[in-house]
Amino acid sequence: METIHKPLKRRSRYNSSEARVAYICLIPAFLGLFFLTYAPLLGVLGISLTNWTGLKSPQFIGFDNYVQLFTTDPYIKDSIIATIYFAFLSVIGSMVYSFFIAMLLNRKIPARGLLRAIFYVPFVLPAAAIYVGWSWLYEANFGFFNFLLSQVGLNKVLFIADSSYVVPSLSLISVWLSGNLIVIFLAGLQNVPGVYHEAAEMDGAGAWKRFIHITLPSMSPIIFYNLLMSLIANLQVVTPALALTNGGPGNSSRFLTYLMYDQAFVNYKLGYACATTFVIFAILAAFTAVLFKTSSRWIYNEGGDDK
Amino acid sequence: MSAAAYGRLRSRKRNERMMNMATFVVVIFCAALVLFPIWWIFRTSLMTNAEIYRYPPSLTPDNWLFSNYEKTLQVFKFWKYLWNTMIIIVPACLAGTFTAALCGYAFARLRFRGKNLIWALCVGSMLLPAMVTLIPLYIGWTRYLGIHDSYLPLILPYFCGGGAFNIFLIRQFMMSIPRELDQAATIDGAGYFRILFSIIMPAIKPAMIVVALFIFIGLWNDLLQQMIYINSSDKYTIALGLTNFRGQLKSDWSLTMAATCLSFAPGVLFYLIGQRYFVEGITLTGMKG
Repeated sequence: METIHKPLKRRSRYNSSEARVAYICLIPAFLGLFFLTYAPLLGVLGISLTNWTGLKSPQFIGFDNYVQLFTTDPYIKDSIIATIYFAFLSVIGSMVYSFFIAMLLNRKIPARGLLRAIFYVPFVLPAAAIYVGWSWLYEANFGFFNFLLSQVGLNKVLFIADSSYVVPSLSLISVWLSGNLIVIFLAGLQNVPGVYHEAAEMDGAGAWKRFIHITLPSMSPIIFYNLLMSLIANLQVVTPALALTNGGPGNSSRFLTYLMYDQAFVNYKLGYACATTFVIFAILAAFTAVLFKTSSRWIYNEGGDDK
Repeated sequence: MSAAAYGRLRSRKRNERMMNMATFVVVIFCAALVLFPIWWIFRTSLMTNAEIYRYPPSLTPDNWLFSNYEKTLQVFKFWKYLWNTMIIIVPACLAGTFTAALCGYAFARLRFRGKNLIWALCVGSMLLPAMVTLIPLYIGWTRYLGIHDSYLPLILPYFCGGGAFNIFLIRQFMMSIPRELDQAATIDGAGYFRILFSIIMPAIKPAMIVVALFIFIGLWNDLLQQMIYINSSDKYTIALGLTNFRGQLKSDWSLTMAATCLSFAPGVLFYLIGQRYFVEGITLTGMKG
């Protein structure tokens, strides 16, 4: 595509007025990349090596913050566990749920547009309101879920007030919110060429075989994209802790980003909080790297035509 | 076609229709499940407290107590919060969309030295989690610029292209606009900006609306940054106001749910208006990302 549209060769590779226009257009991007992205990234590293509290001028203390974080910090271990546990449940749950719904919506059913729109509704509601609203459904004595449990003869569960249920309960909300994944999956499914399915059907392949050998491989780039985006989003989880649980009960929902918030903006340990930030960054980078590394093995790329 | 083959085809067709009907029923059921929490919140907002605590709970309120909303509005300053939220969102959406279009144009259409490097930095920053830059940015705004208790730290970043993701989205969309259009305009003597404003921008309107919607949702949901930068209660946004309101009225569930429903309303309204673009835009991110 690119080569066809290239205008005739000019004497110089770059036309100076064209380049000038480009740089003018890119001023916002330059500002953003420098001041909002890469400079702050270096800033995190720098500040994490100091004991800055926001009151006194910062002193360089080497890796003390990191040492303290991994040896004496009372929260970090619970925090990492809570974050990964939450992200694991939410990512798996949202992926399975949204793929399933997208498969259903991909069939020729009436009112498809309207139904698709319904699954997307939770995504456009303000997060804070969602958590407040769900806290009522999860309420201990009169909440809807406990009514359901009592109907099937099970004991009351405290959901967000019980340290062993709080993370799964919050994950369920996060799955409920994943309507955007459905829309992307659905668009992908509609791009799977029908001829493959027809050919396989002629050869006598059943629905399950066709799903495994045709649908999944041709959807793999989109599965990868959704997996990546929902992993990055869920590992940064913070809003439920801010709006609802305050990290509790105990430390069971003290997600890493909430821990960082607490250190920096409640206890004013800015240097220390930056060390935590870097830990979150490292965890995210590790997960992303693993995903990218393994992707070549399971992503089927037809004719290498991507982007 | 032999009679047997024809029969097979017909039974397959019938089978498929049956399957589609079964699917339809399952989808309706799932959709009802998705909407149920919202309904439950709404029905609670219209009940008396006695009704809420009744066992078994009923699906609909006995009397639709819209007076709960009047009561809520006396404590929960919804209109004030909505106004405050809009003061942040409207300039951010406009500026973010406009600057993203400028940057996207440079990447999609123009040739200049260092393009690949700058593009790589842009794409790279997309993978950088937003919370990593939170503390340095906070220090920058409050210490170096002395900006406290203000909306500026929430708005001004959107004057810088509205984030790499939005630039990326616009660029991808622009690439799909045929270049012959700009070439024809060039021949007619239009300059680069003229082409951008009068040819490309109208053509990428769906993508621009999508970017505006993404910025809207992003700001709408960003409780963390609002908590950090806004202190005084008369500057509260909807998200902050609601979180705070819940703390005050811990046990009055019907009023809390009324406040929750009020907070839902603008998002739902916005979605109903822009539904088509939402779907189109999300599809765009998945297909072209």
